[in-house]
Amino acid sequence: MTARVLVVDDDAAIRGSLAQQLGEQGYAVILASDGREGSREFDQQHPDLVLTDLAMPNVDGFALIEHVRAAGDTPIVVLSVRGGDSDKVRALDLGADDFVVKPFSSPELLARLRAQLRRTGAKSQLEFPDLVVDFERRRVMQASREVHLTPTEFAILELLARKAGKPVTFDEIIAVVWKGAPGTTNDAVRVHVGALRRKIEPDPSNPRYLVTEPWIGYRFIAEPIG
Amino acid sequence: MPQRNARRVVAVVSAPVLVALVTWLAIQLDANATTVGFLYLILVLVVSIYGGLTVGLIASLLATAAFNYFFLPPVHTWTIADPANWVALGSFLVASLVASRLVVQARTQAADAEARRNEIEALYGLSIELFAATNRVGALGEAATRALTNVGATGGGLILFDDSPHAQRVVAWNGAREDEVEDLAAGVGRHGQTLEFPARGGRDVYLPLGIGGKIRGVLVARGSHATKRALESVAALVALAVERERFVEESSHLQALRESDALKTSLLRAVSHDLSTPLTAIGMQVERLQRQLRQDDLTATVADLAEQTARLRRRIENLLAMARLEAGNFVPRAEPTPPADLFRAVREHLPLVEQNHIVRIDVTADCPDVYADPSLALEVLVNLVENAHRASPPGSTIELLARRHPMDAGRVRLEVLDRGAGIADPATESDTARRGLGLEIARTFAAANGGQVTLANRPGGGAVARIDLPAAVLPAVAEAPQA
Repeated sequence: MTARVLVVDDDAAIRGSLAQQLGEQGYAVILASDGREGSREFDQQHPDLVLTDLAMPNVDGFALIEHVRAAGDTPIVVLSVRGGDSDKVRALDLGADDFVVKPFSSPELLARLRAQLRRTGAKSQLEFPDLVVDFERRRVMQASREVHLTPTEFAILELLARKAGKPVTFDEIIAVVWKGAPGTTNDAVRVHVGALRRKIEPDPSNPRYLVTEPWIGYRFIAEPIG
Repeated sequence: MPQRNARRVVAVVSAPVLVALVTWLAIQLDANATTVGFLYLILVLVVSIYGGLTVGLIASLLATAAFNYFFLPPVHTWTIADPANWVALGSFLVASLVASRLVVQARTQAADAEARRNEIEALYGLSIELFAATNRVGALGEAATRALTNVGATGGGLILFDDSPHAQRVVAWNGAREDEVEDLAAGVGRHGQTLEFPARGGRDVYLPLGIGGKIRGVLVARGSHATKRALESVAALVALAVERERFVEESSHLQALRESDALKTSLLRAVSHDLSTPLTAIGMQVERLQRQLRQDDLTATVADLAEQTARLRRRIENLLAMARLEAGNFVPRAEPTPPADLFRAVREHLPLVEQNHIVRIDVTADCPDVYADPSLALEVLVNLVENAHRASPPGSTIELLARRHPMDAGRVRLEVLDRGAGIADPATESDTARRGLGLEIARTFAAANGGQVTLANRPGGGAVARIDLPAAVLPAVAEAPQA
């Protein structure tokens, strides 16, 4: 089934390029030039994913995010500009699922969209290149060699791998892995992620699976097989 | 002053005249000695009130003599027959002396009280004027000179210093101003001590105006009879007002700065949006061309176009970030950042480097995370790696290393090593290939992160760029509670 993407940007050149690229990749594209038009198209067409700019005349991207979130859990990817870190965080807080920073490269954008449209759901095992995570038996195989993780490391890996390709915030990790235990800091998360990386990354100098998402949290970058 | 002397002469002359008049009157009335004594006492009191202590004393002595000569038997002689009359005469003398003294004292106190009242009124008026009126230095000067006049100064005014006591600005002045005023004011400004000396018509007083150390000016009272305390109070009030004036000026200056910063911020936002949007579109189109031209002769041209677009994009971003740093509306946000993540991001940003060089990355196992703003730290590395790429021949190796600083455990050392021509002049770290914005940007961003960049030549040829950044200190942590 063709996934339908609603692209909302006030700049015609960007809209045009995005429509072309996404069209070439087999997506059905719906275009809108601001938040108001975007909301209307969203209500009428029910797209599978919303890709929106933030700064737009009339109704901006933040208002659109709120509108889309109020209607359901359609994935939202935000186009943000460099230096707009506070905007990025605000968009994520409002319910956006991911962001790409302008100017972005096409492979990066397409990977983000794929990750959002992927349904990993409640699979009992996920397979990545050279890495298998078995949630049922709580085992991790790295290039057919078993890796021993502590319960905390496994819980973090499970959360990140199930959301492969999507950013996972520190708050979310603390809420899921630590059950929101008071006094748990981002630094505690960093220490455990550091240990996890040393165990699952074949070359810790060149991370293949886990990368830091500055100021936000982490992202599992490998794409699942199958 | 002459008026006062004339009054005194009149009083001195009037004393014998009045004594003679009372004597004559008493003889005509044939008054007894007691009545005469009282009459003389009244006379001494009146004369003391108008003539002061000296005239009162003269009147006392004259009255005593007249009392003895005309009324104490034997009359018309200076002798006294009855010893009781000696007592009467002595009592009269003592009573008249004490009375005249008391009267004069009361009168002086009343005059003093009146003067203090005037001074306090002047100070009160000044304080109201200074703090309720406009914030104008000129108005401040007028108020100060008015207050000086009200406390009895015949001239003087307010001098403020611009930066030093030798750069003087006369804000307000009354009367003549001789050349030495400037020197005297400068001296007072330098030493911060009140200068006071007798002058025509009273005293000249130079009072430093300073609150909390720095002397900002001098208040000059000339020919003044005001008490030092009153003048010091005036000076303190004026100093407060001057200081307040300065704060008002500074705060409006700050306000203006803030507004211009806000303007810069919105300008930067607009520029950043207007530049990145077309660049994004160009970038996407170039990528599309690249995909379509895979077997075409133009492939190399388009690849170059893509690379140049990416470079232009990075430069613009860097310059905008520098402008934001400078405008103060971008404060670096440091957080623990693994060097491996930075190196990975560098490779993503510079695909051409990997196509033309062998890139070797090594992060030692014990290397701590750096504590830096990740986006700035990345730009430092991108600029230095790009420099290395341009300075070294295709096919050569570029190495990215991270380890704990060899001399300082609290820092991390990141290194970019190439096998290029090296640096022409290691002392000045100047080099044609490495000159330009790249190094400058890297240095600025490293400094914003509390780090520094140094360049050196490598043994065996090539150059090394070292970036020293603070290390992140991560806590020892326990396992998460298990459900």
